[in-house]
Amino acid sequence: MPDPLLTVDDLTVAYDGAVQALRGVSLRVDAGSVVAVLGSNGAGKTTLLRAVSRSLGTVGGAVTGGTVRFDGQDLARRDASWAVRAGLVQVPEGRRIFRDLTVEENLRAGGFTVRDARARTEATDRVLDLFPILADRRHQRGGLLSGGQQQMLAMGRGLMTSPKLLLLDEPSLGLAPQLVEQIGDIIEQIHAQGTSVLLIEQNASMGLRVADRAYVLEVGTITASGTAAELASTDDIRDRYLGVGTSSPTRTTHEDEPVDVPVHLRRSSTAAAQELRVEDLTVRFGGITALSGVSFTVAAGTIHALIGPNGAGKSTCINVLGGAYRATSGTVHYGDATVSALPSHRIADLGVARTFQNISLSLEATVEDNLLVGRHRVMRTGTAAQALRLPHARKEERTEREAVRRIAVLLGIESLLDRAVHTLSYGDRKRVEMGRALAAEPTLLLLDEPVAGMTHGESAVMADAIRAVQQELGLSVLLVEHDMPFVMGLAERITVLDFGKRIAEGSPQDVQRDPEVLRAYLGTAAA
Amino acid sequence: MTYLLTQLANGLSYGLILGLIAVGFVIVFTSTGVLNFAHGSVLLAGAYLVAVLHDPIGFWAAAVVGIAGAALLAVLINAVLVRNLAEANPGTAAILMLGVDILLLTELTRRIGNRVLTIGSPWGADVFSFGGITLPMSRVIAAGLALVVFALLWFLFARTGTGIAMRAAAADGDTASLMGIRLSRTGAAGWALAGALAAIAGIFLASFPAPGVAPTLAISAFAAIPAWVLGGFDSVVGAIVGGLIIGVVTALAVGYESELHFLGRGLGEVVPYAVMILVLLVRPSGLFGRKEAVRV
Repeated sequence: MPDPLLTVDDLTVAYDGAVQALRGVSLRVDAGSVVAVLGSNGAGKTTLLRAVSRSLGTVGGAVTGGTVRFDGQDLARRDASWAVRAGLVQVPEGRRIFRDLTVEENLRAGGFTVRDARARTEATDRVLDLFPILADRRHQRGGLLSGGQQQMLAMGRGLMTSPKLLLLDEPSLGLAPQLVEQIGDIIEQIHAQGTSVLLIEQNASMGLRVADRAYVLEVGTITASGTAAELASTDDIRDRYLGVGTSSPTRTTHEDEPVDVPVHLRRSSTAAAQELRVEDLTVRFGGITALSGVSFTVAAGTIHALIGPNGAGKSTCINVLGGAYRATSGTVHYGDATVSALPSHRIADLGVARTFQNISLSLEATVEDNLLVGRHRVMRTGTAAQALRLPHARKEERTEREAVRRIAVLLGIESLLDRAVHTLSYGDRKRVEMGRALAAEPTLLLLDEPVAGMTHGESAVMADAIRAVQQELGLSVLLVEHDMPFVMGLAERITVLDFGKRIAEGSPQDVQRDPEVLRAYLGTAAA
Repeated sequence: MTYLLTQLANGLSYGLILGLIAVGFVIVFTSTGVLNFAHGSVLLAGAYLVAVLHDPIGFWAAAVVGIAGAALLAVLINAVLVRNLAEANPGTAAILMLGVDILLLTELTRRIGNRVLTIGSPWGADVFSFGGITLPMSRVIAAGLALVVFALLWFLFARTGTGIAMRAAAADGDTASLMGIRLSRTGAAGWALAGALAAIAGIFLASFPAPGVAPTLAISAFAAIPAWVLGGFDSVVGAIVGGLIIGVVTALAVGYESELHFLGRGLGEVVPYAVMILVLLVRPSGLFGRKEAVRV
């Protein structure tokens, strides 16, 4: 048997010299294979990739034990630049394309280490062959591409050096079901062209489809490994990652049961949820029409979902409701108030809280402090009283910390309260954002991709939490999400957008059967 | 009318020199995240080298040594001091740069003393006249050279692999290093460019109508700071446009000072900052600055 291309042996990694992210991880990638790593959030998957690509230093991590060997070489004293030159390239989580550079310049940056001009031209041609859409958009700025196109650009950029091993960190993150399939096909093509792939993927069904072998990483250790087929047939994997097991988060399993998550959240006011009416909403940016004449109504105290392909205008819609964007025409009413005419802090005063697609937290601050920021709207003591630590200010701070802790318990992030946000994984940051929104005691909660980057099991827990707060506090929820089991199990009504227009609306059952929705969004796999 | 045109030409040529300095501030900031308050003394060091060397080795050779010397000095500041900061954050680096500025300026002041060293340029105190507009020859050459330099910069950043790597590193260093781009190299390249541009600007700021190289030259570099800030901190184009705006406004304020007496004397020194504040009131991220949170 030939030497594996990549061997990771008993690897331990710590952040800031304290937080143990990996403990004794061993895995191998044979030449010419695709290996998938599954695992929940904070399990250390991204850390593993960064340790392999020698880029831990920029995030404050360090290898404290074990070895990584690539192509027969020990990587202990090598840096990221050396790794790229040796044929080991990482495509980072969240795409991270250079937004101000054109598509072509992004690719050129990717091929920086290729000195030979002919080899560079060949690599460009190969990448443009693989991703024809990028050829059409060669001279456009990367930031103007849709999510799926950005992912393709990030992968194409990684392929510019014709690597032996490509590390992919969550390539399907935030992509519509149809695009996830397409990304899976592309990974198979890349593999067929002779590049080995080490893949981290939350969408386990796609990951296991394209992989030969897979590992499961839990809290820093490998808990299972085997061929993709073997793993796909074990109950634990089916249950937690594939969502075809017993505890799927469909609504029916919960309908007759009492809410099993203790909430104990109290409102400090008696505000109640009201009807949200979006009427004929149109938003244009420059020449692009992001939303055109969209109308829908979120009844008070219900969970409503907004779905559709990447670039359909879902986030734009959330951004108008939260006040980040202005409507070009049309109106949004929340109860008696006209939201579309108000600045965002006034909208927050109406009891509207939101989370962001591209997470927006204070990275250096702790989770607790981030959540306390959300309490700003309900805190009463003034700056002077807080600075002087007057008795009533201290009392309020105590009660606020208690309120924040209850929210953390509900979302399962209690153990992270003292951690700085920059040390958290993507999915945990999503939960902190949701916690901050809940901390504001909203009557309407806007969630932009609340379970992106979470495993099936984790999204089920999130669905329980959302349902629990919604029932306990009687608030309305409007959410944008690509995780269909999550949406179908949670939402009472669904509005489907495509190219800025509403193409369907109805109950989850109706929408799932709508031929137009199947064509534009769900694709054949979900039918 | 001629007077106005003369002032405008004066302001534009001065603005292009300020642009050279401001672009240096931008490149250092985008490539290493440092607010380079030692930029002025690097400029003075470059001009000083030209002033002391033009006699023994001739002006052109001295200019080359001065420009290369300033670039090398900037690279050393980055390699020896900035890159070895234990806690690398913009605040610490900015304070460090203030310290470097004081050290360099003290040493150069000691060497120059009370003298004003001539720069020894071949254009000397020649004057250029065209259609009633008169302008020092040094300014005409400065303007032409600055335009050539800006065109070369455009070529570097838009067409060459190194330039694209520098832009990628500036946009997202972490990701750029995953492409095999060495941030230490792009940083060094940025500092070297900034040093060279400062020295070029220094040569012209020390030419006629200015008397020559004196320690106050380092201060005049700070006139480029409002240009840098109002252009938007991280935009090369912004720095150039900012330089032109500040140059013209300063020239007009000085040229018409006698008619603006009600505003008090020394208006030319205040006006750049007043313009900067006005621009920032309307556009907080500057004229060409990257807007925060483009997509929320």
